Amino acid sequence: MKRDKRFKSGLIPSLNPVRFNLERWSYTVHRITGVILVGYLMAHIFETFQLGGGAAAWANTMAALHSLGPLELVGLWIVAGSAFYHGGNGIRLLLNEAFGRFMGKPILPVYPYSPTSLGKNQKIAVWTITGVVLALWVWAAVYLLAGVGVI
Amino acid sequence: MENIRLEISRSGGKRASYDVKYRKGMTILDALTEVRERQDSSLGYRHSCRMGICGSCGMTIEGRPMLACQTQVSSFNKGTIYIEPLHNMVVIRDLVVDIIPFFDLHRSVRPYLIRNDIKERDTSDREYRVLSEEVRKFLQFDYCIMCALCYAACPTVALDPFYTGPQAVAQAYRYMADPRDEGWEKRVDLLDTSHGVWRCHMAGACSFVCPKDVDPAKAVQLARMEVLKKRILRRRGKEGSRLVPPHVAVTAKEGVKPPPFDFGGAKS
Repeated sequence: MKRDKRFKSGLIPSLNPVRFNLERWSYTVHRITGVILVGYLMAHIFETFQLGGGAAAWANTMAALHSLGPLELVGLWIVAGSAFYHGGNGIRLLLNEAFGRFMGKPILPVYPYSPTSLGKNQKIAVWTITGVVLALWVWAAVYLLAGVGVI
Repeated sequence: MENIRLEISRSGGKRASYDVKYRKGMTILDALTEVRERQDSSLGYRHSCRMGICGSCGMTIEGRPMLACQTQVSSFNKGTIYIEPLHNMVVIRDLVVDIIPFFDLHRSVRPYLIRNDIKERDTSDREYRVLSEEVRKFLQFDYCIMCALCYAACPTVALDPFYTGPQAVAQAYRYMADPRDEGWEKRVDLLDTSHGVWRCHMAGACSFVCPKDVDPAKAVQLARMEVLKKRILRRRGKEGSRLVPPHVAVTAKEGVKPPPFDFGGAKS
């Protein structure tokens, strides 16, 4: 196999869904939210690591976070949205990949072509997840800003 | 629409513009041919059949991999059309890309019937049994014309140049689903790698751009399930279908008693 001739387009083309299908947009959002969650996880580990320095170190960390003002809340809101989308879309992908759900069975292609893996069921799944995530994201905004809607 | 402008990505990072007189029914390939014949004979692009069969004229048109011969100029409804070579491949010249690595991937999944008894396969004068409902399980994936549009559209290939790719995985599944094939376990081992079937993130771009509705995204997920069957359910490969005379293969399903057949070998 001629591995030396392989070519990599890179990150930016891989994340560009313009003129592609709904699922490709979903892929892009899934990747971006995944990176946000990994970033948050790293920051969270660093934050809790400060507990080892005693009460004063923890208070300093909290003070530094609170000094961000509304940016702290916006950051948490983005993390919450990322978690909702990544989790919801992850369940869809799990159903796709491990159980073949929403993919359809092999068919005999008839023109005009319409791939069943990107068909009605898949679209319903993507839009349902998007709707639920948006609703949860609005709830997260209300919760973070006004402290209401606590379950 | 009277004139259209083609903005073509040329070798060396240059971009060239050509104005072409539009005529009804004109495809992108027609427009490129017009440019090469009348304006710039140095323009490099690849084509052959001009009717969506050979898969040679794949290129990125307005940001999406398409077959130039199957794409109407009028479908864009705009005066300027931007054309690039296929992504995820090395450009040889202008719109011509090196598809040898793509064919290497295709070959790597052993896209042919594997039989344990090679002598029987090579010397028999009879056919392997396959029913029409069994054919339906893989026929869709058999329509692949190896145009590489799915490979160019795949965001995973853009990040992992060693990924087996949607086309090769689809072809592997096509033979895994074939009752005549006995290479199921070999192909599961080929696909169950870090650059194999698990690299797909189900963006679906491959199926979206496929000009023949081969639906590689579906094939990849079905191939994944085959891998899981072996790894989790510990399923083993089955013996391939037996040899039968051709007319028995057709009539067995319909309950018609097959005519007597001379199993003594080929008739002179």
